[in-house]
Amino acid sequence: MKKIVIHPATRLEGHAKITILLNDEGNVDDVKFQQLDLRGFEKFCIGKPVEELPRIVTSICGVCPWSHHLASAKANDAVFGVQIPPAAKKLRELCNSIAYCEEHILHFYFLAGADFVMGPDADPSVRNVIGIAGKVPDIAKKVVRSRWLGAEMLEIVSGKAIHPVTAVPGGFSKPLTEKERDTALPLAEEVLEFAKFSIDFAKNSIFPNYLDAVKSLGVIKTGFLGTVTEDGTLDLYDGKLRMMDAEGKYEDFKCEDYTDYIGEHIEPWTYMKFPYMKKVGKLSMDLDNPVGVYRTNTLARLNVCDKIRTPLAQKELTEFREKFGRPVQLTLLYHWARLIELLYNAEYAVQLLKDPAITSKDIRIPVKPRAARGIGIVEAPRGTLIHDYETDTQGLVTNVNIIVGTTHNNAPINMSVKRAAIDLIKDGKYDQGMINKIEMCYRAYDPCLSCATHNLDGRLAVKIDILDINGELLDTLKNF
Amino acid sequence: MENIPAHCNCNILILGCGNILFGDDGFGPNVAEELQKNYNLPEDIVVINAGSSVRNILFDITLSERRPRKIIIVDAVDAGKTPGEIFELPIDEIPEKKIDDFSMHQLPTSNLLKELKDFCKVDVIIIACQVENIPEEVTTSISKKITDAIPEVCKRINEIIKNS
Repeated sequence: MKKIVIHPATRLEGHAKITILLNDEGNVDDVKFQQLDLRGFEKFCIGKPVEELPRIVTSICGVCPWSHHLASAKANDAVFGVQIPPAAKKLRELCNSIAYCEEHILHFYFLAGADFVMGPDADPSVRNVIGIAGKVPDIAKKVVRSRWLGAEMLEIVSGKAIHPVTAVPGGFSKPLTEKERDTALPLAEEVLEFAKFSIDFAKNSIFPNYLDAVKSLGVIKTGFLGTVTEDGTLDLYDGKLRMMDAEGKYEDFKCEDYTDYIGEHIEPWTYMKFPYMKKVGKLSMDLDNPVGVYRTNTLARLNVCDKIRTPLAQKELTEFREKFGRPVQLTLLYHWARLIELLYNAEYAVQLLKDPAITSKDIRIPVKPRAARGIGIVEAPRGTLIHDYETDTQGLVTNVNIIVGTTHNNAPINMSVKRAAIDLIKDGKYDQGMINKIEMCYRAYDPCLSCATHNLDGRLAVKIDILDINGELLDTLKNF
Repeated sequence: MENIPAHCNCNILILGCGNILFGDDGFGPNVAEELQKNYNLPEDIVVINAGSSVRNILFDITLSERRPRKIIIVDAVDAGKTPGEIFELPIDEIPEKKIDDFSMHQLPTSNLLKELKDFCKVDVIIIACQVENIPEEVTTSISKKITDAIPEVCKRINEIIKNS
């Protein structure tokens, strides 16, 4: 039996290791995708004043600090038992939408785009961001400009883009002046133009070339989880959770009841847990007959929602559903869904900035410590993010549970990678392009493993060790 | 309004990298804060406490039409030296295990830095501090030897700026 190890996996946040076991015929016997998990963070928080957590959690992850910041602020609101003023909610949502735009642009053009722009079979030395800059320099300039616009807007609205501090228990710490709004609005409108360009560009010049891959690579059948408003509209900041099964039937539940619907399965070979649909009763990652598996992140959110509140994104959703149905199971369509979400967030940022109520000075209400449990849930770019806190009478933290977006996708990522490996590796034969296609499967989920590491390399080296059954090294492939 | 981020549009960019939640790994961010607070640096020098967001910054620089002439990365590294020892790490000499081992602490974006140097002609310097302890679990406390190294690194960076 041969063993192929892809280590570390390239172009995803943080680190991971893929191990592919081949049987005596050279076909895939098993695949394991191992991710790092943040260890000890919960313990670190115990005893701290709960209002400090929104500031501390932004250090968990340099990739989506706003998601952690907002989930933590919402958990604080719940612990203190307050409803924040409408303008505070709008300001938090505005920051969330801007951060989403930055993240989705980064992912599409930088982390995933190289596979599509340069092609999955391109030499690894050009299949990266330098390759993109050389091949489509005008787009590269627009990407940088749009991300700068996002950072600039976050500075204007919140004062601090990298390590946000402005969401506080009970609201937001800094009102938006009319002058600041007038400065930010044209920037948001320019990002919206780029979002429109991006989805057109992808639909006309990128996706048509890869429809075969989209239809065949890493396709699995699972359920989906996402957040919607009372009337089923996509919401990334607040609402109820919707768990949809593989056939499209769904059940809605309150965020506070998440432990009734989400169970956590443990495997001995990885620290990261495998969340599953608790109501189904068990988890099976059997490719032909999966049980209890659900996915989060862009495709999941678009599957579970009935509609989108902004017109252009709604039009795209309608077109997407006419083409691919609902729920969509094709893994690589996460990218398409991501671009629809980019458009939604850009539109929504403009809409929020045009709302006169956003400049209200009524943005914060006082809070008093108490013994309570508070759950804050937001949709992070990579999936549903849950912060669950408990405090004592003085407001000091006694318990913390955090489930990050990538963790929800642990089982489906493993399944997609296995599906692709089985389909692509036959009779012990594989090459660099094939290995990269396997990697494209997990990149579709945009997994973020940086919660425990600050190595945020855009293009880590890939090393593939091929071992025989006794662990003896037969061959090594690498791209560095 | 200038439409290029300051971190692309400066002469020298200094990035303090690391996660303050992982003990000595907080070295880089602490150096960045010290430089910002207590050093009067010229206007064309940009110092960023990049924390664990360094990838975003380097990504923009790689794609940008304008780039800093020099990037100084400040980071904590486990290279088997004496804890608190400061040394420059040439990109080409980053040991292979630094790129692909499975540890929580690694140099940021080593390949991306290499590309910036080789393809984009940016002068990249990595100033590293040997860590004493990178904990298994979250803590914000930094070893004394590492704390003591912060002023030395700041002085060294100031020298590099003066001589550039």
